[in-house]
Amino acid sequence: MNTFRQMLRPILRDPVATLGLLLVLLAVLVAVFAPWLAPYPEDAYESHLLQRLQPPSAAFPFGTDNLGRDILSRVILGTRSAITVAVSVVGISMLIGVPVGLWAGWRDGWLSETLMRVTDVFLAVPQLILALALGQLMAPGLTTAMVALSLTYWPFFARTVHAETRRLRTALFVDALAGLGAGTPRILLAHVLPNAAPAILVRATIGMGFTILTAALLGFLGVGAAPPSPDWGLAVAEARQHLPEAWWFPTFPGLAILLLVLGFNLLGDGLRDAADPRLRRSRH
Amino acid sequence: MARYILRRALLALPALLGLILLTFVLTRIIPGDPAAALAGDSATPAQIAEIRTRYGLDRPIWEQAVVHVRQVLTGDLGSSIFSGRPVMEEIIFRLPATLELTFAAMLLSIGIGIPLGLLAALNHNGPIDHVVRLLSVGGLAVASFWLAIMLQLLFAMEWDVLPLRGRSDLAYGAPPFHTGFYLIDSLWAGQWALFLDSLWHLVLPAVTLCLPGLASIARFTRSGVLEALQKDYVLYARAVGYGSFRLATIYVLRNAITVTVTQIGLLFGALISGAVAVEAIFDWPGLGTYAVQAILSADYKALLAVTLVVGVVYAAINVLVDVLQALIDPRVAEDIR
Amino acid sequence: MRLGAALLAGLLAAAPGIAPVPAQAQAQVQAQAPQRPMVWGDSLTATLDPHAVFDVPSQYILLNAYDGLMRYQGNPPELVPWLASSHTTSPDGLTWEFTLKEGVRFHDGTPLTAADVVYSFRRLLAMNRAPAAAFVPVLKPEGVTAPDARTIRFVLSSAYAPFLSALPLVAIVNQKLVEANTVNNDWGAAWLAANDAGSGAYQVDAATYRARTALDLNRFPDHFLGWSHNRRPMEVVRTRPIMETSTRVLALLRGEIDAGDSYLPTDQVERVERNARTRVQRDETMRVFVIRMNNRKPPFDNLDARLCFAHAFNYEGFNNVILKGLVIRNAGPNPNGLWGNPPDLVPYAFDLAKAKEHCDKARAAGAPIGREVEIHIQSELEQTTQAAQMFQADLRRVGINLKIVPNTWANITAATTRAESTPDTWIHWVSSYFIDPENWIGQMYDSRFHGTWKASSWYANPQVDALLTKARASLDQAERSRLYQEATRIVVAESPDIWVYNTVNLRGMSRRVQGYNFSPVGSGGELRTIWLEN
Repeated sequence: MNTFRQMLRPILRDPVATLGLLLVLLAVLVAVFAPWLAPYPEDAYESHLLQRLQPPSAAFPFGTDNLGRDILSRVILGTRSAITVAVSVVGISMLIGVPVGLWAGWRDGWLSETLMRVTDVFLAVPQLILALALGQLMAPGLTTAMVALSLTYWPFFARTVHAETRRLRTALFVDALAGLGAGTPRILLAHVLPNAAPAILVRATIGMGFTILTAALLGFLGVGAAPPSPDWGLAVAEARQHLPEAWWFPTFPGLAILLLVLGFNLLGDGLRDAADPRLRRSRH
Repeated sequence: MARYILRRALLALPALLGLILLTFVLTRIIPGDPAAALAGDSATPAQIAEIRTRYGLDRPIWEQAVVHVRQVLTGDLGSSIFSGRPVMEEIIFRLPATLELTFAAMLLSIGIGIPLGLLAALNHNGPIDHVVRLLSVGGLAVASFWLAIMLQLLFAMEWDVLPLRGRSDLAYGAPPFHTGFYLIDSLWAGQWALFLDSLWHLVLPAVTLCLPGLASIARFTRSGVLEALQKDYVLYARAVGYGSFRLATIYVLRNAITVTVTQIGLLFGALISGAVAVEAIFDWPGLGTYAVQAILSADYKALLAVTLVVGVVYAAINVLVDVLQALIDPRVAEDIR
Repeated sequence: MRLGAALLAGLLAAAPGIAPVPAQAQAQVQAQAPQRPMVWGDSLTATLDPHAVFDVPSQYILLNAYDGLMRYQGNPPELVPWLASSHTTSPDGLTWEFTLKEGVRFHDGTPLTAADVVYSFRRLLAMNRAPAAAFVPVLKPEGVTAPDARTIRFVLSSAYAPFLSALPLVAIVNQKLVEANTVNNDWGAAWLAANDAGSGAYQVDAATYRARTALDLNRFPDHFLGWSHNRRPMEVVRTRPIMETSTRVLALLRGEIDAGDSYLPTDQVERVERNARTRVQRDETMRVFVIRMNNRKPPFDNLDARLCFAHAFNYEGFNNVILKGLVIRNAGPNPNGLWGNPPDLVPYAFDLAKAKEHCDKARAAGAPIGREVEIHIQSELEQTTQAAQMFQADLRRVGINLKIVPNTWANITAATTRAESTPDTWIHWVSSYFIDPENWIGQMYDSRFHGTWKASSWYANPQVDALLTKARASLDQAERSRLYQEATRIVVAESPDIWVYNTVNLRGMSRRVQGYNFSPVGSGGELRTIWLEN
């Protein structure tokens, strides 16, 4: 746990990373309190045909969409699903990738070799194409998109953890522990994993931003979130038919994606620098 | 070096074989019966049974897997369920469109990314540095499909200064097919107007697509240069009176290029993913739109072929990158087990 | 800092795109070609084989590259002899004889004979793909014969009144050419998917064909009708489908394409009309918008539940606000303008109080009204999304939870082959493939068609089956009309589906396109009458 405190301090000292942290915290707050923050929370599903495609005004700061729904409310409500998707996908990927990486990094032999080859196969296909294929083969929908994204993201964790474990396996303190008679699970969970935690944390933060982008893209291509979900990618897709007149329709959901992903990326960047003193030195 | 290249290529083989098996597994987890899908609507059970025998779908699963691998290795990816044409034929016409777009984007990323990274490093902690840093993080945070739509909205719809869609004006036919790259084929045929038109059509999609690559290259160049500037020999050279610019070009840029080459492999994966969105928005007749159409028409044969072809191209590019890297820096070749 | 500026300037100069380029390119194009060829932007069908697919886009190939024995012309569509010069029917309606016109040639110069017609029908029946559906129940391959080179005889296994109306569906292909390209007894299917073996007014330039992306059609000067009806026919038509609706509309406005598809979004009508270059071609058509309910799955096996749904759709709001009044409310399965509709048919009205009443009754009868109901939409067609979202909001008010599932035509039609896999509800249009109530009520509500997408509500009523079977076999128009009216009354009262509107066909077109002749069958895709004005 010490490592986290060690990592937090440099972040607060770096204004850019702090901005990232603030953006992420803001988004989490918005997500938690979305139904209370949104001016028209019922616009998650309600339609108002008489006020379709209104430009931004005092009543509707971001304008209304093709079914007369308040875009500001939907952007706020969409934060929740964006963060849920990101957290679940990264969580599931970690649950698969971290054990695989630990095992394959710790042990030698055909099994760990095979595990890493399988990882390579998954990494050899561009993630989006694989997610699209999976999304089409199963029924399209948000759950499918999350499964597909998790199935394609875990290899990144496996790689990261594998590399860290390999590095630590030869470390002196591990040898000492083994000499003291500590069992493998104990060494892995109590000693190797905490030391690999910063690398995992950086990967997870970057993965959040990445997942939000890809999930939005899947929503945009029609294999992700289903209407009337206030999904941002879906909103941009729905907006296309109403351009160039309704410029506000794709603009604000897109900006929301940009800000949230920017937040995660800036934070991840800061974390990476904090975790890797070599890079921090080069940054000044 | 030749041995290294051979070994590197051989190392890619298990991954490719795994990829082929993965696509096979995918065809088998599809809900529904591939034979029924192939038979089409209003097919009788007898017709479906006949198709099952014809395609060997009644054989044991491992036998089917072997057949699948053999077919793929001989370049037979089957026929599209939707159009009835060999999938390979359709892909051959579409792959160059995607490659032309991604290469253009990659050139832009490198051509703009390296100078930007260099500028930022030389202007360390100055205003340019901050702008470039923000850009390099922001560039990776923009959803490509959204950026494409916004650029299209401004440049093609509102101001009407750039083409809206496609590889060339629709009234032109395609240039005679040699490479499938419009820029090359139009020059080959001496069609200047078409060449310029194609170049013009490439601007918006390539600019949209280049952004993530540009961002990461600028960022790696920047940190590479910064790191190199801290090296003792550089500090020494500076003390002796070399200017920043000379230093940058002599010592630093070479390092930066090595770093960039490493990035290209990773970048290509991102470019292909981005291309799916960008192609869909700019109506670019490449593999991305092909994949989207395959999804809309439940054409799993086409989709699997795209997955496979993209995987192979991706693997090939990664091998190429490793080889290039070894050529630039022979130490890399020694590192590999 | 100076270095920075220099580098930046260099970058800007190197960046592609210096403003004068497109103007130059444009000028060169104009110098090369005096007139920009017609660019048709409607979607292309999956395969060029006219016997393999049967959907709205496939009509473009069928009507232009091929000819049939009969064809629909004009609006309201009239069935006219085409390759046939005349025909006779036996009194029992089983034997039909057609005489071919003389001097008809295929694109390769081969004369079109009765043998080609026989081959085409046998090929259709043997391949048994979508367009065969209308013939398979009544026609066996050996039932089509050619007593001589210009006579074709059909012997049906049972009387089938819509036989004549369905004949335009069948393209006549060049037997010699197709047989020369047949491999593995595939009836030439692989070859014909990307080539043409027809006699139509335009011929496929196979070298330019890219599935779903590009197809050039060249005028066939020796078409059997001659070209005297058109002083300046187009020599070449470039078909360049644009997938995305919004892009298609913008390309039309900018003059890149001359015609869009026949589903111009109602939101775009005003914009296309306002543009100096373009106009909207509006035509009465016969394309009914339906929300299907799976009558086999509870709660839709309960009449009150179905009535509840039928009263919960805001027809007014959808037809007049979202679609801006460009469509007409349709009370039953048959399009309003068709014969065989009861003159006094009253459409269901949007009335949530009534919906609630019916739902309460259904609930009391044990129907699972509370369960989540899925509605499958075709994601690429925005109207289906809008209708579903509006429906969802209104159903919520009567306590029904509707879940929207984005899907595709291909997936849904594959799912409708079995009742268990058919969605609870789904949205689609029934277009006119042939002008006969059989195309709508006949194939939608006769239980013999269960397993096809048209009959995907799995409605079964022996009385309706009997009426429809009788109407199908009768050759007396007055009797058929009476039978269809009776069947329609019963079906509408039982509310197996929700019928929303009948369309006005909206196609964006450039103003230079002249001589466009609309027919609801094939959405007016005939190119031979069109010329371009400068």
